[in-house]
Amino acid sequence: MLVLSRRIGESIVIGNEVVVRVIDVRGDQVRLGIDAPRDVQIHREEVFLELQKENESAATASVRTRDLVGRMPGRPPSTDDQGGTPGRPVRPRPHPRARPSDD
Amino acid sequence: MSPGANLDAPPVLRFTDGIPGFAGAHAFALTDLTDDGTFQMLTSIEDPELSLVVTVPWLFFPDYELDLPEHDRRSLGIESPEDVVVFCSVIAEEVSEGLILNLRAPFVANPHTLAARQVILDDEDIPLRARFGGEA
Repeated sequence: MLVLSRRIGESIVIGNEVVVRVIDVRGDQVRLGIDAPRDVQIHREEVFLELQKENESAATASVRTRDLVGRMPGRPPSTDDQGGTPGRPVRPRPHPRARPSDD
Repeated sequence: MSPGANLDAPPVLRFTDGIPGFAGAHAFALTDLTDDGTFQMLTSIEDPELSLVVTVPWLFFPDYELDLPEHDRRSLGIESPEDVVVFCSVIAEEVSEGLILNLRAPFVANPHTLAARQVILDDEDIPLRARFGGEA
């Protein structure tokens, strides 16, 4: 691992497009500012590792999950208590395949 | 043949910066899994063995609120709520048959461009493993 010393206000440049600046240091905490292209996602490592593990679990369980939800009756019960529109499924966001009916 | 059946190829979502845990997989077909539209399947184009069950989180957690970070919105070209489709991965628990939804890191797509990414929400109180139903 490359190790560099920086002072507050100084930066390092990674590749051509990523700049990491030391904003502040207080005790054992360092605040960093990061400039990166929009398509570069930036995560705290511990959260990223947890998500990686969760995604792998979801992929491993996909056959079991597919079989189980295929056997489930209808929609989940939690949507039943939405008064007003009995019998209408709750679809707060359109499905990508749903085309707007403009006529 | 019934009218409209399978005439459209399923939409293919483009995760240009990938999905954590699935190195090398960037394109995923989105297909319906259940007739009522509750569950869908994301299947990798590069590796058809790689798939995930997904669902619309509000069907299970009506109070779910998601504050999409500005840089994710800009990256996906999302300008209004109509420009966004949100779903979460689902894991069926082995014994209890409860469902675990990943609410902290939803898949977010722009339905016009099919650009997509898995967004990690800033709110640490939103669970990565939210449990729904199942026998205790």
